[in-house]
Amino acid sequence: MTLIIPLLILLPLLVGLGMFLAGTKAESLVGLALGASGLVLALSLLLLFQVCGAAVPDSATNGATIIARAVYAPDWLHIRLPVSVGGHPIYWHLQFGADGIGALLVLLTGIVGFVTMIMATHQIRERLVSYLALILITQSMLLGVFLSMDLLSFYLFFEAVLLPIILLINGWGDKAESLKASRKFLLYTLVGSVPMVIGLIGIALQSATPVRPSTVSLELLSAIAKENQLAAINASPGDALNSVSTLASKDQWIAWILLLGFGIKLAILPLHTWLPTTYAAAHPNTTALIASVVAKLGVFGIIRIVIPLTPLALSTYAQMLFGGLGAVAIVYGAFVALSQSDMRKVLAYSSISHVGFITLGLMSMNSEGLSGAAIQMFNHGIITCSMFLILAMLEQRRGPVSLDDEDCGLASIYPKLAVMMVFFTLAGAGLPGLNGFVGELLAMTGMIRVSGLFTAIAVLGTVLGAWYGLRIVQRVLFGSNGEGKSKVHAQVNGDLKATEFAPLLALACICLFIGVRPQDSMDLIENDIKRIVSVSEPSSKAVHSEIDQLAQTQP
Amino acid sequence: MAPAITLILGGSLLLAASLVLKSGKARDVHGQRNGMAVASLVLLLVAAILGWIRVVPDDLGQGLFRFDAAALASERLALLGGLILILMSWSTAPRAHLGEYYGCLIIMIGAVPVVGASNDLVSLFLGLELISIPTYIMLGIVKNDNAGAEATIKYFLLSAFASSFFLLGVSYLYGFVGSTNLQVIQNNFATANRLTSLALVLVMCGLAFRVTAVPFHFYAPDVFEGTSLTMAGIMSYLPKVAGFVALIRIMGTGLNSQTLEIVVPVLFVCSALTMFVGNFFASAQNNLRRLLAYSSVAHTGYLMLAMTALLRENADPNVLYSYLAAYAAMTLGFFACLGEIEAAGGKTQLVGDLSGMFYRRPAASIGMTVCLISMIGLPLTAGFWAKFLVFMGTVAAGTKDPLSIAMAVVMAFNAVIAAGYYWRVLSKLFETSDAFVPLRVFRPSLFVAYTICVVLTLVWFFVPAVM
Repeated sequence: MTLIIPLLILLPLLVGLGMFLAGTKAESLVGLALGASGLVLALSLLLLFQVCGAAVPDSATNGATIIARAVYAPDWLHIRLPVSVGGHPIYWHLQFGADGIGALLVLLTGIVGFVTMIMATHQIRERLVSYLALILITQSMLLGVFLSMDLLSFYLFFEAVLLPIILLINGWGDKAESLKASRKFLLYTLVGSVPMVIGLIGIALQSATPVRPSTVSLELLSAIAKENQLAAINASPGDALNSVSTLASKDQWIAWILLLGFGIKLAILPLHTWLPTTYAAAHPNTTALIASVVAKLGVFGIIRIVIPLTPLALSTYAQMLFGGLGAVAIVYGAFVALSQSDMRKVLAYSSISHVGFITLGLMSMNSEGLSGAAIQMFNHGIITCSMFLILAMLEQRRGPVSLDDEDCGLASIYPKLAVMMVFFTLAGAGLPGLNGFVGELLAMTGMIRVSGLFTAIAVLGTVLGAWYGLRIVQRVLFGSNGEGKSKVHAQVNGDLKATEFAPLLALACICLFIGVRPQDSMDLIENDIKRIVSVSEPSSKAVHSEIDQLAQTQP
Repeated sequence: MAPAITLILGGSLLLAASLVLKSGKARDVHGQRNGMAVASLVLLLVAAILGWIRVVPDDLGQGLFRFDAAALASERLALLGGLILILMSWSTAPRAHLGEYYGCLIIMIGAVPVVGASNDLVSLFLGLELISIPTYIMLGIVKNDNAGAEATIKYFLLSAFASSFFLLGVSYLYGFVGSTNLQVIQNNFATANRLTSLALVLVMCGLAFRVTAVPFHFYAPDVFEGTSLTMAGIMSYLPKVAGFVALIRIMGTGLNSQTLEIVVPVLFVCSALTMFVGNFFASAQNNLRRLLAYSSVAHTGYLMLAMTALLRENADPNVLYSYLAAYAAMTLGFFACLGEIEAAGGKTQLVGDLSGMFYRRPAASIGMTVCLISMIGLPLTAGFWAKFLVFMGTVAAGTKDPLSIAMAVVMAFNAVIAAGYYWRVLSKLFETSDAFVPLRVFRPSLFVAYTICVVLTLVWFFVPAVM
């Protein structure tokens, strides 16, 4: 069972590299790619069960807040650098493992990868083998990020995701736009991620003391962070050396640098401009992968690194700022989505709006908010992936979909597609009983304990979310005159084939399952969230005395 | 000193051989070319073996030369670069002047360990000049046209100018201590005053020319444009190694805080300017040669930042050596790929000339892709660790001085600007073009050269400890 983790990372990587080098002529390799991706999905399910079944260490051995329940950390997996710092040679053990949150995202990667690959066999007409190979490589890099349990391998995979994604955007996107868009994506992401390495090195080097060499293990680092934080919060009032503000300002630059990097990846408001360009230029099938998983790397980074390792700096300097930005992003994204007519852009801005909810949940730093954010990562991944896949199928049948002139009631031509589209739009809008509701409600429940204002803005966003979602449905499926008839019957290219319909149906079942029984997925992440909250909540309360006042004044 | 002596003596022999070989119409050009290249490789091999079997005594002594870590590292870097450069030269060396070319190249390679092992200002200067003087000759013989002549004259005059700066600084150092022995000088750094700082800044100016740091970088684009690809490769690597090793030699240890207060800000400003000038000018270039020249300037900026960390933390100079090794693999590899395209009949003057090269010359294009990714500093290549180590050194120094962290951030943003123009070159390679003329001429030596570079770039990522 310990081999699941290396297999998950290496299998898609090796198959993908092999196929990529084999070139474009080997059409028979499509089956191999699908098989490999299916195997990854099966392995990710296995990992999920293993993590579910693993004994949860309730009070951690050394107070660590990040503990993997399935571990792969052999001795030979280490990095020795030709330098020594502070008298210790640099010798870092790399660790891979999965906790509940990681396992959930591994599953998401497995599902999205498999589904996008099945769809690609219908969508992609040229160089299909290379396309599938690149998706496999992307999958491997993403799994590497979600499974890494140390800063170094986290960063390595985080950076390496860029390469296959750029090739995917560039090679199969819009002919005129994709070069510019991929360059913008590359530069934006690098502006965030290259400085990020400075922050990560800072964390690693700060962990070194004269008796203890530096470490990159998240488990050890989180234990150290918790220890430092407890010392700061419990310090006597006159003790300026150990006070909360001293520790916060010491970690301040690290928190800022990391938040910049992750903020760009999750397209937080002023840093979001790469997102619409990229989503509009890439093939919608590629966008399904980027929007559902790659954009989640930022959220994952914050929940995995920023919150557990620099909690005081985060809550002192950035909690309210980022919470506010998240709330504004919800409304801003929704309004822009309402005013766009290109459906790719509508979905792109709706993605910005939805990620705002996740940010809101993260910045509440309490258990409701964090579980909401973690669940919503998965939910939004599934929903946005389905929406972009549906868009891809529409575009394949009718060319670019614009809400202005596509006034034609496609529902009567493509009934199955219409059903799916309505379903996922409702899930995205947060209809109770579907998965979008669970995450967004939890995120807002968390935030209301921190700031009533932000929550009020967010609630406004849910209304707007339903508005732009239904606007898509109305314009594209039913036409503004509501006749439900197509004006251009000649272009009809048939409804969904069985192999197109089945993946969407499976995704819909997942949406429904989580919507009806959220408890199962909550159980998976409950313990991990509880441990993270044990550092994040005290620190946000130590800094913001007004937190929880709203909850207490209720009758 | 056995390897350095072997190389310098061997180089002199090759120089002398040119007198004997060159004769009449019966001259066997191919035989001479292959013979010279093989002879150079044999010399390199002998030097490497001599270096391998050398027993370093425990007491390194106080003499003209000392075999400490810097000496060994510089020797390794010289041999590594030398191997790639000789392979690159095999098919590109000027046929009329084979003996002079290889002789000068071998002497330059041998001079790097002389600089690295020097424990005396005089021997250090000797080593530096042993690199400069052959460069003048080679610049003159590889390209015998107006641009070549301009490049040669420019380099010669500026080099002489820089040497005089260096000598002025050295004379102050001598005046201050009364000895040219570096250990004696370093022992006296503890009581250093403003004058010592002035001397060190002058020395830095002199060396800034060799490492192409701003404001002594002006010659680089012109010279790179006006000379052959192989020569540009030589000039972007060997003087840079020698310059940085000399910097480590002279000021690597023992500076007191009063001196650091002057030297470190100077290095900071110089490094920031070098990065910005290099990267901004490279972004604006459409001429590939000038772009590479400015990119080499930018890399100098990163190395100078590593230098500041080294001065203050007494951190491992390995940061610099590792960066230079990765730099050798990626830059020389890139030049070798360009050289192969040129040898096969393609043009490499402008960035646009590379359009669609992946479909015309796949192997070289894949090589260039790896080298460019390494220059951007993305994972799976040695360039990632090179930048990582510089960041690490700077952050380690930053525990005492926030300015150092700020400089690390400046470098990070510069790396992003650099990614912009490297990506421009990279995307050109894969552009679908109409001119689908495959370039079929095969040059085994150049192919081997860039294969070595690409393999090293990839392997070093997985085992950075041996970089």
